[in-house]
Amino acid sequence: MISLKTVRIGSVAEEAGPLARVVYDVASGDVGGAGGKLMVTRGTGRRVREALVEALEDLPAGGVLYVDTRGVELMDYSFADEALGILASRVAAGEYGDRRVVLVEEDRELLENVEASLRQRGLAMVRVDEPGGAPGIVGEVPDHLVETLHAIHVAGSITNADLAAKLGLNHTAMNNRATRLFKLGLIHRRKNTAAPGGRQYSYERIV
Amino acid sequence: MGSLDPTFEAAASVDGEMVVLDLRPVEFVEPAGLCGLAALLEFLTPRASIVGVRLAGHNVPAYLERMNFFRIFGHRIETNVDVESLEERRRGNPGTLQELVNFHSEEEIPGIINRISEILENKEYRLRERAAICATLSEICSNAVEHGHSPFGAYAAVQAYQHIVSGPRSRGERRGEEVLVAIADGGVGVRETLSRNPDYAKFTETDNDALRHALKMGVSGTGEVGRGGGLAVVGQISARAGGSLSLRSASGRVTYYGDRTSSRNVSDFPGTFVRVSLPRKADA
Repeated sequence: MISLKTVRIGSVAEEAGPLARVVYDVASGDVGGAGGKLMVTRGTGRRVREALVEALEDLPAGGVLYVDTRGVELMDYSFADEALGILASRVAAGEYGDRRVVLVEEDRELLENVEASLRQRGLAMVRVDEPGGAPGIVGEVPDHLVETLHAIHVAGSITNADLAAKLGLNHTAMNNRATRLFKLGLIHRRKNTAAPGGRQYSYERIV
Repeated sequence: MGSLDPTFEAAASVDGEMVVLDLRPVEFVEPAGLCGLAALLEFLTPRASIVGVRLAGHNVPAYLERMNFFRIFGHRIETNVDVESLEERRRGNPGTLQELVNFHSEEEIPGIINRISEILENKEYRLRERAAICATLSEICSNAVEHGHSPFGAYAAVQAYQHIVSGPRSRGERRGEEVLVAIADGGVGVRETLSRNPDYAKFTETDNDALRHALKMGVSGTGEVGRGGGLAVVGQISARAGGSLSLRSASGRVTYYGDRTSSRNVSDFPGTFVRVSLPRKADA
């Protein structure tokens, strides 16, 4: 049995930053007609992923693509892995710069295959019930990283030093944690070269 | 399916002669037997000059007709059945969810799934039930076309039966429905597929070892991350419904029930055969 662990990471009081956001409705196949209510097979997943990548690459740096699967009735594991698992893996690998992907889906059984794929890959995605809704996590994220993610989401944008102070960690430990979240594609990271004492990172929520 | 074992054994030695399959004692056929029969005929017809199929009574021939068996094989076999009269009396069967279907490529699978989903919706199956049946069928069809390449591709069939459904022991038995999904391909089989991955050497010493290993999440012949999840998910779906997933390939047969797995050695099956039982409780 797959354990469906969707972790709430807190609500967002206001829209974060002026970043570009685009919603791709998988059921209607917003881009290129790749979509539908019954999403099965790796071949279908590949076509949807290609359409998602096209939409993602059209976004400016820092943009967020909302992949809305709420109209999908069935998503098998093969589709979920090919469309979302591989996409999440490439976002995490930095193939699309600091553009990010967010899953728009309610907490229902359809998520199980997305969860299974992401866990297989040691990855995670930010999930919202609707664009602008409270963020959660689907996939594999250890509890201490969920805590960090929660703190970043509450702050909206926060420096490594402030985050470290907030969570009672030293700067290196804080940086390590946040870097893992950044490499999972779950937050944005900015380098502040003018910071006192030299280089310092700041972190921003993506939804 | 098991009742065809002696025939598969005998079929391996056929060399150009006429063969008659005497199925007259058969009183009941389910999707597993139907797919097994289709695979047997695909195995036999290239080896025999003529293949005859003998059937008795009305129920089995009528079922085979409803499930499109004669439409697919009628021109390739000789039979004692008056197929035309069966066609005339053909009636829609409320339990038929997917007639015997032959497919060769992944591109055909969404069409099969769309059709069965529509049938299930018309029969007022709930969304989660439709999703379970369709995901089961799509995953095992995908496995068949990806790993089971053969000249005849693969056969699948789905049927719902109204009867007493066994539930968890504590809850006893209740009247309900059981959906049976079956598929057979003529490919190289599970052991050979997994043997391509050197990491699985110790898990592929026997066909049963390979089948048991194939049920685990993430096990695939390629070893690619993300692969090898479909069968594990089908196992979870069937277990959650209180049903089972049976795999048969070469001389192995493994059945997974969620809390236990049974296996036994069987006669060689030339390919891979999958049967999934999805009980549908009346009060679910």
